Amino acid sequence: MMRSIIIIFCLLAACLLANAQQNYDATLIPKELLHYASAVIRDKQESVEVQALDNTIYHIKEAVTILNKNGDGLAHIVIAHDKSTVIKYVKGAIYNEFGKQTGKFNEGNFDDYSAWDGFSLFTDTRVKYYYPSVTQYPYTVVFEYELRLKQTLDFPQWEPVTNFGVAVEKSIYTFSCNKDFNIRYKENNFTGVFGMDKNSSGLKTYTWRTENLKAVKDEPLSPYYKNYLPAVEIASEKFSYYGINGSYTNWKELGKWNYDNLLANRRGLPAETIEHIKELTKDIPDPKLKTKKIYEYMQAKTHYISVQVGIGGYQPFLASDVDKQNYGDCKALVNYTQALLKAVNIDSYYCVVQAGRQYKVSLQPDFASMQQGDHVILCIPFKNDTTWADCTSETIPFGYLGAFTDDRTVLAVTPEGGKLMQTPKYTAKANLKSRKANFFINEAGELSGSMVTTFKGASYEYRDELINEPRNQQAKMLQRIYPVNNLDVEGFDLKQDKSFDPVTTENLKLHARDYASLADGKYYFMLNPVNRMDEPPRQVRNRLNSVYINRGYTDLDEVTYTIPTGYHLEKVPLNVSIDKPFGKFKATMELKGNQLIYERKLELIDGTYGRDTYQDLVDFYQEIVDADDYTVALIKT
Amino acid sequence: MLNLILPYSNLNIMKKTFFILLILCGLGKFASAQDFPFGTVSEDEMNIKKYGNDTSAHAVVLREFGDARIGLVTGENIRLIFEYHVKIKIIDNKGFDNGTVELQAYNYNEDADSYEQIEEITGVTYYKDDNGATQKIELDNSKIYPVKEGKNLVFYKFTMPGIRSGCVIEYKYRKISPYFNNFQTWYFQSDIPKVYSEYQAHIPAYFRYNISKKGSLKLSKNTATVEQKCLMIASGGGTSDQGADCSLFNYAMNDIPALVNEDYMTAPKNFLAAINFELTDYTNPYSDATIKEARQWKDVDYTIKNDIGFGDQLKKKSLFKDRLVPVLAGKTDELSKAKAVYTYIQQLFKWDKASGKYTEYGISKSLDKHTGNDADINLSLVNALNAAGLTASAVMLSTREHGTINSLYPALNDFNYVVARLDIGNQNYLLDATDPLLSFGLLPFRCLNDKGRVFSPDKPSYFMDINPPQKEKSTQTLDFTLQEDGKITGTLVNYATGYDAYKKRTEIKKFNSTDEYVEDLNGKSPRVKVLKSDISNIDSLEQPLIEKYELEMNATDKMNVGDLTFNPFFWNRIKDNPFKLAERSYPVDLGMPSDERLTLTMHLPANYTVEKPPQIVAIGMPDNGGKFIISYEQGEHSFSFSYTFQLNKPVYDQGEYPYLKELYNKIIQSEKAEIVFKKK
Repeated sequence: MMRSIIIIFCLLAACLLANAQQNYDATLIPKELLHYASAVIRDKQESVEVQALDNTIYHIKEAVTILNKNGDGLAHIVIAHDKSTVIKYVKGAIYNEFGKQTGKFNEGNFDDYSAWDGFSLFTDTRVKYYYPSVTQYPYTVVFEYELRLKQTLDFPQWEPVTNFGVAVEKSIYTFSCNKDFNIRYKENNFTGVFGMDKNSSGLKTYTWRTENLKAVKDEPLSPYYKNYLPAVEIASEKFSYYGINGSYTNWKELGKWNYDNLLANRRGLPAETIEHIKELTKDIPDPKLKTKKIYEYMQAKTHYISVQVGIGGYQPFLASDVDKQNYGDCKALVNYTQALLKAVNIDSYYCVVQAGRQYKVSLQPDFASMQQGDHVILCIPFKNDTTWADCTSETIPFGYLGAFTDDRTVLAVTPEGGKLMQTPKYTAKANLKSRKANFFINEAGELSGSMVTTFKGASYEYRDELINEPRNQQAKMLQRIYPVNNLDVEGFDLKQDKSFDPVTTENLKLHARDYASLADGKYYFMLNPVNRMDEPPRQVRNRLNSVYINRGYTDLDEVTYTIPTGYHLEKVPLNVSIDKPFGKFKATMELKGNQLIYERKLELIDGTYGRDTYQDLVDFYQEIVDADDYTVALIKT
Repeated sequence: MLNLILPYSNLNIMKKTFFILLILCGLGKFASAQDFPFGTVSEDEMNIKKYGNDTSAHAVVLREFGDARIGLVTGENIRLIFEYHVKIKIIDNKGFDNGTVELQAYNYNEDADSYEQIEEITGVTYYKDDNGATQKIELDNSKIYPVKEGKNLVFYKFTMPGIRSGCVIEYKYRKISPYFNNFQTWYFQSDIPKVYSEYQAHIPAYFRYNISKKGSLKLSKNTATVEQKCLMIASGGGTSDQGADCSLFNYAMNDIPALVNEDYMTAPKNFLAAINFELTDYTNPYSDATIKEARQWKDVDYTIKNDIGFGDQLKKKSLFKDRLVPVLAGKTDELSKAKAVYTYIQQLFKWDKASGKYTEYGISKSLDKHTGNDADINLSLVNALNAAGLTASAVMLSTREHGTINSLYPALNDFNYVVARLDIGNQNYLLDATDPLLSFGLLPFRCLNDKGRVFSPDKPSYFMDINPPQKEKSTQTLDFTLQEDGKITGTLVNYATGYDAYKKRTEIKKFNSTDEYVEDLNGKSPRVKVLKSDISNIDSLEQPLIEKYELEMNATDKMNVGDLTFNPFFWNRIKDNPFKLAERSYPVDLGMPSDERLTLTMHLPANYTVEKPPQIVAIGMPDNGGKFIISYEQGEHSFSFSYTFQLNKPVYDQGEYPYLKELYNKIIQSEKAEIVFKKK
């Protein structure tokens, strides 16, 4: 009796659920979800079921209502697949604003393309995609597909909010596996409901569920999205990947598996190359200078070409291949450099990092998983002098990481296993751009003179794109860099000191007609010639996110103008000084005889600040914009 | 990545098993130019440090040779066989990109007769080893990656091995294609300079092409000779073979400079030195039937009108008859009917961003899919207009990035886009329904290029200029009052018409609502507060877009000196001259004229005066090409200020460039100046 009641109850529940799912009338969307939304995920159900180590079934059913054309992207169905990911089926339907079905689609409607990531010569991942084409808004697309993953190393993560401007009515993620299959999971910013249970086939299930998430606005200077949007990541203890089995519960073990299966025995080099390297470095006793020599040899010999093939794209090309072909991706070039170093018995680490200039993203110390990181750099653990290098650039100095990979936690993959390490940080003080200019303004309003600018720390790279460009091209680029109208470059010279504390020095000789304008016997010109802040970040109503400044820096400008004699200042001279927790700004000017001296210092300090700081920051920038907009008015004495 | 390649019409020449007689067209001596030997490099080539003719070059083509012939391949099928061979000096690491090559093959259908093949890719890199000896390394076959993109394209991608500064790379390949109407265009010029480039084309007497040279550079070799029996056709019964003679064309250029891209220029292709071939007609050697491909426009008309992707699609009026009943209800005059149909088609389709002169899906299928390329959508529009009893035709044109059209003879390859032309009385309208925000009669920017060819089912085709009466036009009226406390309040009204209204609408539609748009606007200028806003006619495309804002801002006393300042261009000041080069090599193509005006009335409290009025400016370009005027008038307790900026031409030539540049210069200076108020 009890049993049949349960069954009836279950059936009823299923019916209710089915009915509820099928009403896609757009007017049923709760009003509060419409603010700032261009699409609303009505109902998204994802499930991952591990059936065997080499067999995981991923199923998704999603209904999304597109409110206007800015939300069209949410209706685009894009499915990546490769040798270890097989699409079992895909189907779907389109509903109009009243929830009436107007069309259907299936796998035959999909196109299949190579997944071009924008920089790879070749990758063996492909995508199937279908863009439903509906011109009447709102409309709803409901789609469903199943993937068979022949692996258990890389499970689809749960990220219920994937885009700005998208609200979520309901999103559910279920992970199921045998009771003896151990998993670890990590919740980030998750506020919904979590439950563990057993399903009808006796599998244990973990379910995460969230409802009524409002659309997220893209607020300037926000932290990395993973720091404020909900997500769940899952990793299993035992796994199989491209036919290789393994197990791990921490970074050490994952690193060990990586080393043994993906890196070991790929560093063989032809004897003549080894000989050549030994010969090249035989007169250099210091191991760090030896390494520098080898790194520079590698830089001169190779160039970066991305080719993503093989074991999920995780395995580097053979060092001997790079030796012959002279190209490789980050993995191949690091592995090759390690092989060259090995020839002179210098040990080094292959380090996995999440690269990017906009955010510094660390590997999560408390949660080891294969998905983290997207780039590989080299670490050489000299005694008390751990040194880092990126092997994909042909020009950067040895030991320099720059803004791409600095200040974050990375995984060193060593024969003993993985270990987490921290890359060095370029501080606000170290990222120094310092400029001294000597300018003349003549009676006709023409500006001429020269300036010297040095770039240090993360700013060292600021002029990289100009290096090796022909003179006329450099002049064109400088016209874009420096906002001086009628800028005419008379002389330009760029020097890069590639020592362990690298400095770029720019020497510029210029002139610009009509820099100052003359009217009624007065002179007017912009006090700040080349380093003006144009506009503050945009104001945000009801800001939600904390303020994140990814990179601090210091700008020092000192400009001396020699002006025609016999003039005095018409207005009070500029004198601004602001001091805030996130930055300092000071700008002053002084007229001594016919010398006008302008000094400006801006220091921005990286860090995360409370959301209330935001308006303060906008005001800070606005005051700088105003100060940088100061027009000197000179009047004949 | 969308497939932007047009389906070529496949000229399928199959062997027929009856005897044919060949007519030999004259005799001449065999004079084929030779390809340069593959696999060798000279010490001189290895030692180049800089290319003397262009010391800024990161790479230079030392020698390049192409050979295109129409010949037989397996199965007695006649194919276009193109062989390419190049040797490039890589001077420094910025030239490494030239070592990564992507070759494209087009496969229209699954059947083998429409397949293009690329074969025998071989390559070698020469470099100096550490001892200064020249070494070579060959391209490994396993490192050539074929990548299938969508249903119709295959790319062969490879990177030459062993690339380093100072190396020389050499590679060659063969491409076999059934698309005779797409005879390989030879580009002498590219983005790197070339020392020598040579091309030869063997064209059997069965085929006739119109050959044209593009660009202004001179050929150093230009010969046409006869090559005997260059195409051997097995005759019926297999008793004897017949051969056809070929015309052999040989072209070469020396010391070819790199083409440099500049801003505001149309397709670089328009300026590239090239040799182009347009198939006019051919005889099927197996059937002896002469098939005219494109000789004169009347022949082209025939081809086009019977093309499955064009002419056929012009006969689909019936698909729209029923659909239009509700659309046309209550509409009596022709213009309102036309506008209703236009809006209907705009809303019926979502453009898939592909362009082509032929339909991608065909009208019937794209009606089902609600999507298609420009031809699907605009030929639907033509049909729908005709179904509504109006007179519409299709206009083939070339988009700006696709280049200009040859007007000497019909060159269909020059076209890549279709719009609709509607005639009402003496008035004609050009219409493009691919963008739902375009108002009736407005063409998108990409279409504003040169001329178009008008096709209708029952009349011969003809050229028309694509110069629709469209402009960017905006008028701002500001009525402000300076308050005693230094605040400025008032209203700003912006009228945008023509293309400017389109741009504004596109901008607004990036937001989910006008509130969000205004919020963003407000956020962008912290000094200006939008107290109230009213934006009208966002969806009434026929009307000017009107934005009304009630604003409040501080007349800033920026540097605490007691004076208040105000800049009338507080919202959209031009700060940067778009024209920076001292001289210009190509015309400046802005697409359309523009007209921008601003009128400000400022009311002042009794105790304030204008300390520093704006400078009055009036500058004109020669030949009424454009002007910039600032005028100012002082009243008792107010002043008025007005600004006019007009560019009257869509295209400015190199001679006009300095004037254009100077006009911007003056604008930047004027817009920088602030009006200063002083307390009495």
